[in-house]
Amino acid sequence: MNSHEWFIEQRSPYATQTQDPTDEPAFVDHLKRCAECRAAVHQLERELGWLPMGVNPVSPRPGFRWQVAEAVLGPRRPVRWVVWMSLAAAAAFGAVAVGVSRRAADREARLTATQRVTEETLAALSDTVAMLRRAARVMQASIQMEGHQGGLLIFADSVTHKWSVVLHGLPPAPPGEKYQFWFVCDDGMVRGAEIVTVAGRPSFVTLGMPAKSGNVLGAALSMEPLTNAGNTPQGKELAHLTL
Amino acid sequence: MTDQPAPAAKSDMPARRGPSSVISLAAESSLRARLIARDERALVELIEVASPWLLGVAQSILADPADAEEVVTDAFRIAWQKVGTLPETEDQRLLPWLFRVTRNRAIDRLRARRRQRLKLERVGAEGAVDRVSLPVEPNEAAQPGWHVHRSVHQALDDLPPEQKAAIELAYFRGLTQSEVAEQLGIPLGTVKTRLRLAFDKLRGSLAPLKEWLV
Repeated sequence: MNSHEWFIEQRSPYATQTQDPTDEPAFVDHLKRCAECRAAVHQLERELGWLPMGVNPVSPRPGFRWQVAEAVLGPRRPVRWVVWMSLAAAAAFGAVAVGVSRRAADREARLTATQRVTEETLAALSDTVAMLRRAARVMQASIQMEGHQGGLLIFADSVTHKWSVVLHGLPPAPPGEKYQFWFVCDDGMVRGAEIVTVAGRPSFVTLGMPAKSGNVLGAALSMEPLTNAGNTPQGKELAHLTL
Repeated sequence: MTDQPAPAAKSDMPARRGPSSVISLAAESSLRARLIARDERALVELIEVASPWLLGVAQSILADPADAEEVVTDAFRIAWQKVGTLPETEDQRLLPWLFRVTRNRAIDRLRARRRQRLKLERVGAEGAVDRVSLPVEPNEAAQPGWHVHRSVHQALDDLPPEQKAAIELAYFRGLTQSEVAEQLGIPLGTVKTRLRLAFDKLRGSLAPLKEWLV
């Protein structure tokens, strides 16, 4: 028969979920009858409530927060309404125009596919907006090129420690060349990403910090030959930002 | 997704944020009230603040990002459904409660899937100790709750190494006491003693945190 001392020793393992499974049934049974142990367990849970924060935080992948919200709240009502209305419209259109359900089904499939793409885009935009909102620092540089007035904008995310880089107002890169983003580190330049521009629209990329480098001191943008895949800029520097 | 947050630019953030980066007691109370009132934006705010920590807890135990995401999603679902039943007392704070829900779910899942053996082998291959005690990146201070994280780290670092190792495996990795004994090559009774002593010390050193805010 277990003495009460044994149960007292079981309090902290139970409260912290570190109890050995073989000890658990007896203690759970005891808890039903022992108000003192219940109170002690409750007290332990309160005192050790912040202990889980000993873990290192994990940055959620893009779209995760949106997914969680949707999983908990269900699909957004406006979206559902739009989908059903779209499907109804597709069905009506199919029936009137062709009179066969096959076309309506095709239309429905297309609409569903479009909806999926739209939702994914919305999730990505949601993450982007969240990153912009959290930006602890915003850096910018103006760039003049071939009569165009554009710029480079960097939003430094305070949670994920990623940079959202926006290039705007610039023409597409000339044939054989590319816009290349660089991290300026205390041990040299580190290649970031090629930024593809589309006339009339800003380009947006999200970059993590370079894995193998020293302190990041700034960033640069250059127009590089397509053939340059190394860590040394060869083309004309268009912008240089220092933190 | 990796075990750790993305490496930080070493000079792009302030070393430490002030009170604006924390959730005040009043804000937490307001958040809880809004959750009870079914304010969906309050849920989004909670997800925003708590996700990195809950994912850290779940991934630490499950060592599987996809499983960790499912557990955290479950935890938020439970929070949304049951927040109204949570007594609004000082010792029933929202985030510690969410941590408990997440840990319990993660441990249940770990044990239900009988992954312990696999986990033991993995932990053995990676080294048993110090998985939670990585160096603190100063730039992480921008993360809400980071000051609590630092304080918990300090409390863990103040434990004798053998107690810290037992806590690391049992509490943060979700191993049973028997598995900890096997992992460390010590008798089960010794594991129990080390855990009891460690929790007693942690109760003392974490006591001030009950007044702290994330």
